[in-house]
Formats: sequence, C-alpha cells, structure tokens
Amino acid sequence: MLHTRVETADTPVIHLEGEIDLDSAETFRWVVTDAVRSATEVVLDFAKVTFIDSSGTGLLVRLCLDYKSQGVQLRLTNIPPAVDDVFSMLKVRSLVGDEAFLDT
Amino acid sequence: MVTPAADTKENPATLQVMRYDARRGTLSVIVGDTGGIPREVLGQRAVEAMRARSFICHTTESDTLLGADEICFIPRGDRCEIVSIHTNGWRRHHGDHRRSLVEILNDLAAAVARGTLTFLDEAELATVVAEGQAVLTCTIDDTASLAQARAAVSQVLADHGVPAAARRRLELCVSEATTNMLVHGGGGGTMRLLRVDGRLRIVVADRGPGLNFINWTEAGSRQPSMGYGYKIILDNLDRVYLHTGDEGTTLVLDHTL
Repeated sequence: MLHTRVETADTPVIHLEGEIDLDSAETFRWVVTDAVRSATEVVLDFAKVTFIDSSGTGLLVRLCLDYKSQGVQLRLTNIPPAVDDVFSMLKVRSLVGDEAFLDT
Repeated sequence: MVTPAADTKENPATLQVMRYDARRGTLSVIVGDTGGIPREVLGQRAVEAMRARSFICHTTESDTLLGADEICFIPRGDRCEIVSIHTNGWRRHHGDHRRSLVEILNDLAAAVARGTLTFLDEAELATVVAEGQAVLTCTIDDTASLAQARAAVSQVLADHGVPAAARRRLELCVSEATTNMLVHGGGGGTMRLLRVDGRLRIVVADRGPGLNFINWTEAGSRQPSMGYGYKIILDNLDRVYLHTGDEGTTLVLDHTL
C-alpha cells in the first residue's frame, strides 16, 4: 500500500509512504504525472518508503527518463537504506544520473 | 544477423535448456526443445567445454552453425548444462534501462555456472517440492496479494531469527518471484514456504504457459519491467531451482538458516 501527500509549491514535493510495487505502481505514476503538470522540477521524498522492488524501481526510472526528455527534472531525496540497497542492485544512479539525487 | 520475424507474437523468443551426461553420452532436454540444433553438435560442443573445464558461450556472430542467438555450455562435474536463447528477431535492446534478452540469458547461464541456479525436469522438481515440512501457503491472484505474501514470509523469517537485512533481501526476492508469476504466469498461482533441514524453501508455482521471453522486455507491456527480477533473485539467494514447461513454471528459492 502506498500513501502520497503533495506539497504544492513552485517545486512540488511528493511525500511517499509505504510500499512501491506492482500493486501501487498506478498510484505512484498518477501522483507524479499530476504533479509535473505545472512544474519543471518535482521532488520525491522517500523518507517513509518501506519497500521497493524492480517493478517500482523500473517505473521510477522510466518516469525520471521520460520527464527529463520533456524538460522536467524529478529529484529524489531521503532515500532509506532498504530502498538504497535496491537502487544499488539496479544501478539506479547511473541510469537516472546523479543530478536526480538531492542528497549528493 | 538475425532477421526480424514477421509476427513476433506467433514466434516469441524462446529459452532452451539441455543437459549432456558425459558418462552415458546422452543429451536430455530440460526446457523447450533442442532449438533445431542437431544433438550430435550439442554433444560435441558439450564435450569441448568439459575438456576445457570452462564455461563457453557461442553467439551467432562467432558460430552460425549453432543457430541460436546465444548458447552457453556450462560444465558441472560429469555433466554439461546447455542454456540457449532464440530471440527470433525480438528486439535485443531498447536503448534504455531495460535489460536485453541476451543479458537475461547471461544472468541465468552465469547463475548455473556458479552453482546458484539448477534447472529441473519434472521428476527432479517432484522430489524437491516434496521435501520438508509445510509452514505457509499463500494464493497469489491479484496485485494486493503480493504485499500479503511478502508480509507472511517476513513474519516466518522473523520467527526463525533471520536478521533484518537478510529478511529484506528475501522479501525482495519473494516480491520479484510472485510479481513475475502474476504478470507472466497466467495470472497467478501459489506460494508455499517449507522448512527443509537447515533451510527455508519458498516454492512459487503457476499453471501458466511456461517461461518464455515474450513480453519480458516488450515496450508498452503492463509493467515497466527492467528484466531484473531474475537477476535480483539469483544474486541474493544461496540456491534457486527452476522448472518450466507447457503446464506452468515453478521457482524454488532456498535460504540457509
């Protein structure tokens, strides 16, 4: 189950809470798609994400790359160790670029 | 060069797994068929790899005789495992983050070579799944059941004193296996957890059409698959068994306690 809360601002912040898997993929896609409509930069806050697998990571990478090609930068922040482990396994940093990570 | 097939839906990429037994001089088919490659050619190549005591891969560019896009000969004691892929013109790479079919094949072949992955025929599978004591059974028939399966496994692992980091990795592997089953295994199946000697064994079984590579990395497919599910499973577990055929696919994940 994934809960989302969006802080609207010039740079919207999407607070993600729970699990990002095949079940929550559509919720995740929808909230990002909605937030990028009025912004050129959107922050995804992973602080309360407890689980992500290759379905969730694949979608995240796809969204980062697709929006980047449309001039919108997604920036990821507060990556918990459990999520970072999966990002390392799947080489997410090299796929989406270091600039997609706010904490580096 | 591989010429793209006119209709890839009717001519999907396929996986073949065979086993050459050097003592008997016999070749048996474990998954699919011989892919049209003459048995004597497969036997010769297997003997060659066993003599070299080396994992040998051939690609169409290096060896057109074999016909497959890539075929790997992997010596294991007095046997040689043979794993090959015919992509039949399926796109080899998308130019983005998803893995190509040949990369996925290489993940499987490398896991066989290092002893993590064993392909099983029907009789071998029957033996493996009959071992041990059942701890838990879950039905996987919709996306909501994926989290339930992970939570159930995590609880059993915690009960057995498995440390948090190992639990997280196993939960991830369970998620990959059950998601694969839901998306590619005919819409679902069952997950059983067994206690076998000093190991926990997770058996994920569907009655789908058998594992092939159709849709694995297809653009526009239901999920933005990266083709990494099997790689995650094979990189994070001690031992994995795989059986696949017309009547379904069974993946067995072993964790040593």
